[in-house]
Amino acid sequence: MMNRQQQKVWGIGCALLAGYIALVVWRQVSPDPELTIDLQRDTWPQVKLESDYVSSRTCKACHTSEHASWHFSFHRTMTQVATRDNVLGSFDNQVLELDGIRYELEDREDGFWVRIVRPEGVEEHPIVLTTGSHHMQLVWFSTGEQRELASLPFVYLIANQRWIPRRSAFLRPPVRSHHTEVGRWNQDCLQCHATRSRPRIDPEGLAKADTEVGEFGIACEACHGPAKDHVALYRSPITRYLARLSDSPGGNIVNPNKLSAPESAMVCGQCHGVHLFKSQPDALKWFEHGFTYRPGRKENDRFPIRPLSPDPRLTSGLKSRPAFLQDRFWSDGMVRVSGREYNGLLESPCFKGGKFSCLSCHTMHPEDGSDLKIWRDDQLKPGMRGNESCLSCHEDLREGLTAHTHHAPSSSGSLCYNCHMPHTTYGLLKGIRSHQISSPSILTTQQTGRPNGCNQCHLDQTLAWTGYFLAEWYKTPVPALSTDEKKIAASVLWTLRGDAGQRALMAWSMGWAEAREASGTSWMAPYLAQLLADPYDAVRLIAHRSAATLPGISASAYDFLAPQSVRDDAARGIVLQWMKRENQQQRAGLNRLLFDGKGNFRQREVDRLLKMRDYTPMRLAE
Amino acid sequence: MKNKNNNQEIDFVWRHLRWGWWALLGYLTVGMALETMHGFKLGWYLNTDNETRRLMFTLGHAHGVLLGILNLGFAFTQKVFGKQGASTPRLASQTLIAATILLPLGFLLGGINVYGGDPGLGILLVPIGAVLLFIAVLSTGLQLKQTC
Repeated sequence: MMNRQQQKVWGIGCALLAGYIALVVWRQVSPDPELTIDLQRDTWPQVKLESDYVSSRTCKACHTSEHASWHFSFHRTMTQVATRDNVLGSFDNQVLELDGIRYELEDREDGFWVRIVRPEGVEEHPIVLTTGSHHMQLVWFSTGEQRELASLPFVYLIANQRWIPRRSAFLRPPVRSHHTEVGRWNQDCLQCHATRSRPRIDPEGLAKADTEVGEFGIACEACHGPAKDHVALYRSPITRYLARLSDSPGGNIVNPNKLSAPESAMVCGQCHGVHLFKSQPDALKWFEHGFTYRPGRKENDRFPIRPLSPDPRLTSGLKSRPAFLQDRFWSDGMVRVSGREYNGLLESPCFKGGKFSCLSCHTMHPEDGSDLKIWRDDQLKPGMRGNESCLSCHEDLREGLTAHTHHAPSSSGSLCYNCHMPHTTYGLLKGIRSHQISSPSILTTQQTGRPNGCNQCHLDQTLAWTGYFLAEWYKTPVPALSTDEKKIAASVLWTLRGDAGQRALMAWSMGWAEAREASGTSWMAPYLAQLLADPYDAVRLIAHRSAATLPGISASAYDFLAPQSVRDDAARGIVLQWMKRENQQQRAGLNRLLFDGKGNFRQREVDRLLKMRDYTPMRLAE
Repeated sequence: MKNKNNNQEIDFVWRHLRWGWWALLGYLTVGMALETMHGFKLGWYLNTDNETRRLMFTLGHAHGVLLGILNLGFAFTQKVFGKQGASTPRLASQTLIAATILLPLGFLLGGINVYGGDPGLGILLVPIGAVLLFIAVLSTGLQLKQTC
């Protein structure tokens, strides 16, 4: 028999227990963003770990700091299951239209859906995955055919906060190319946007797409290799603490920081590179099993492309794809598209020394206390945004930097990157630094059409001007130059005569702060107006971004996707604003920028150069 | 003999009342320090890469407070039921006090210097404290069994 006091204690205890049970039950039944999509997992790529993989969830238990930085990185969010937490574009009854087909985006109770309304009928598909979270985001829907995915033909442009046609977000010839890229994720994207992926596709077609991945996104084991043995070794706290206290390298795992520079670079290069399969059987094997390469191991079913090498595998591998190199490389073999830095690195003199790798400048796990928001943009090590990245090896230049650069120490011309890694790679709607370390050369510019670092910053100067200073300062011979190259600013020539890739780089360069500081902005508006009328959507979009930041100019009336007449009117409006704002006399006599003695724009010269424009269809495969 | 037992019981009650309230004060202060670190968003404590430290400090604070309350409960138990008992709760008292020191301290020390997902070596105090607490609870239970 309990007394009153005991009854009270029991009463409180039972109440607490009941409360706890209620909390657990509530947590179980409350809706989870992923829960509804889980139900349809049989129609999209399956997450299935191979026996020697453990996934990032396991790594987190011991490597919290590394897990935290990875979790904050764009590597992790490269592919995500589409949930309300990570789909960036609006699905709130959004209707998008492209070439007469309507895409009705809907946010339903059971997830995001797309309703495709074609003249021949209506289809509905669940949105299951997203690609990207930094600059733009693409969403994939399940076709319902096995595990096959197709993409919405629109991307969400994060900076502009709007949906745009996918074909407009990449440098593509201005033709109607409207398709949902059925099966592209299963065949292409998974190669690098997921960890340990197996396409499991019928090479003859897409009759079979039983795709499996170890993990969505680029996770720990993509760079460190399979970790099952490592986890087994360190499950014992004694082994773990002994390893922690001795600071010995982790056993049974690959640490790219401890690999030789070439091996370490290969870890990044497995995705950040352009490769070909070594043989046809290797390619066929990949369709079923995925890549054979594992970090730190020698076996590789692919080789990185070096376009100028006499490798017979290169010619045989590209027989059926003549445009392959053109879409990715400048004519001298320098890679020109983003996300393929490894090919640039391989050709760099620094890399040939055997000690230089991606991890010389980049880190995937910054030190504790680092500002992850700054780090994750380009994942540079602390201090590597400046000259330290080069001076740590090129010690001799530390003292005599200005004697080498011939620019003031605080000038952007004294920043090694600006001359030796100029923004001549294109991708993500901007110019990106080339990762093939090189020196400015007029001859190379002439031969390849690739802007050199000097003229990409000094946009208002001619090739002759650059040639003169390169000869003066570095004894570089000046090649024979055409009259236009002698008299007209190089940026003007690239803007008016250049191919779409050059024009895209010029549109970006005119918005680049360093170039604006070096060459002023008062002359740029009419050239940006030319680029606002460009046939390539991407060029117009980039030009609009640059025009919108011109001092005193409002470009809000312009929409790069508006009908041509509307665009032309808005571009004319920008030029009119510029004419009112800028003092005509200030540009009088700037012949190299095509202004006459009174400061008027020499339209006839512009028209002459436009007639010489390179209209070669350009499709940069970033 | 009975007087001697009564005096001992009173000693235990006072001892654990003192330990309980002082432990509460101490770990309340730790709690305030943790809240302050939250308030000032101190990365050393709050950053996601310091998850282990935060867990250890939170556990140290929580165990400290709960052990303070347990000391008060022990004092209350001795006050209410101790008089009727035949045995003295010396072992329970000593182990409870040792646990009150070692358990929270182990977590707090373990959180100062962490190795990724593993706490610092201070964490070794925790299993010792846990065993002592187990003994304290068990011996109190046995004491009460004799009493009733």
